[in-house]
Amino acid sequence: MAEVEVRDLTKTFGRVTAVQGLSFTVPAGKVTGFLGPNGAGKTTTLRMMLGLVRPSAGEALIGGVPYRRLTRPRRCVGALLEATGFHPGRRARDHLRVLAAACDLPDRRVDEVLGQVDLASSAHRRVREFSLGMRQRLGLAAALLGDPQVLLLDEPANGLDPAGIAWLRGLLRGLADEGRTVVVASHVLSEVAQTADHVVIVNEGQLRFAGPLRELGETSGALESAFLNLTVVPR
Amino acid sequence: MIRSEFRKVGTVRSPWLLLAAGPLIVVAGITGLIQSGGNVHDPAVQSRALAHVGLAALFTLLFGIMAVAGEYRQGTITDTFLSFPGRGRVITAKLATYGLVGAAAGLVSSAVAIAVTAAWWAAKGGSFHLTAGDTWLTLGGGVAANVAFAVIGVGVGALIRNFVAAVAAALAWIALVEGIVGQIAGPGLARWLPLPASEALGRTSISATSQLLPQWGGGLVLLGYAAAFAAAAVVTTLRRDVT
Repeated sequence: MAEVEVRDLTKTFGRVTAVQGLSFTVPAGKVTGFLGPNGAGKTTTLRMMLGLVRPSAGEALIGGVPYRRLTRPRRCVGALLEATGFHPGRRARDHLRVLAAACDLPDRRVDEVLGQVDLASSAHRRVREFSLGMRQRLGLAAALLGDPQVLLLDEPANGLDPAGIAWLRGLLRGLADEGRTVVVASHVLSEVAQTADHVVIVNEGQLRFAGPLRELGETSGALESAFLNLTVVPR
Repeated sequence: MIRSEFRKVGTVRSPWLLLAAGPLIVVAGITGLIQSGGNVHDPAVQSRALAHVGLAALFTLLFGIMAVAGEYRQGTITDTFLSFPGRGRVITAKLATYGLVGAAAGLVSSAVAIAVTAAWWAAKGGSFHLTAGDTWLTLGGGVAANVAFAVIGVGVGALIRNFVAAVAAALAWIALVEGIVGQIAGPGLARWLPLPASEALGRTSISATSQLLPQWGGGLVLLGYAAAFAAAAVVTTLRRDVT
């Protein structure tokens, strides 16, 4: 199973400690909400999981292996990061064809994921003409391209309209039901409360909670009150 | 990996505009040489006309910078490193890809240079011979300079990841800094700098440096610079965090 495991992960940038001794395990076959206030270290943690940022200490493992040692990383892990960029002058389909060439996938697979994220009719438009929501869909298409067992998504609902958010919820649910590991980093609690089975809450680079969502309470406001209890520092 | 790099180049317009500037500068330069009174009956003038191919290397330098620093600018470098976590291989692939594109650009510039020179020679009543003087040495050196500068550009772009800063640094070096360094060092040392080395290789004469290395010496020196920049690019790229 392609579990994601983080062990004693620490990252310091100069004097700032972004992540401190973080350990948790993300189960396969579930949607896991990765929650924390702005600046809690979520994005840095995701970037360490993906081998983009080198940990100061500890390690992040995907199916028992660090990302950098995966032989076919895009076939194992799909990632959507806020800062993942697009060349504004490149057409949507070409953006994915560049990635497909990088992981030896046929162009047919590009057309499949474009259909999956409902961008088939805009495939030949240049990314500069895209709305934020469309860019987000294109980023999701890139994450899905390699049909990976693990998905690490940073604020995937960002820029999506209500219909898009409902569609995303169904997509994530379906991916988890197929046995994949789905991590959704977010601070939109209401959205996570509707989608996630499992939550990991961090604050100031440290773990506050990791476990099934229902352990935080069954009511609709339970996640929010638990989150605030766990992350708001009393002054 | 190289296929992915070629797709990157092939699917946007800006690199093609940049590469098209090389042949244009060749056309303009040769035309300028004739208009300013170049003697079409002198074989040395024919070589000077063809030597404009080496000047077009400025554009392969910018092209190489764009290949890496441009990716940091657009944020596509994140996707590139997600596809290939072994970053040393990414830079190596870029060096190979853009070196090849530099060679292609140099060959196109050479073809354009031959055509334009032959046309001017015919118009002015001179006789143009491909075998005259050191035609092939000049063109070969020019193509080699295009390759070397594309590779150096990849190195500069990986070292200075800010696209605007990298282009500004490269242009400032060519236009200002190297001239000053050359004056301080004196002509005996100045000929070892990248620009005089490329002049020796491409048989051009743009700066005032009179004592150039022989062509093969310029080629070796430039190869050394290209290797140094390539090595520095790989080493720094391996260590840096991508945020």
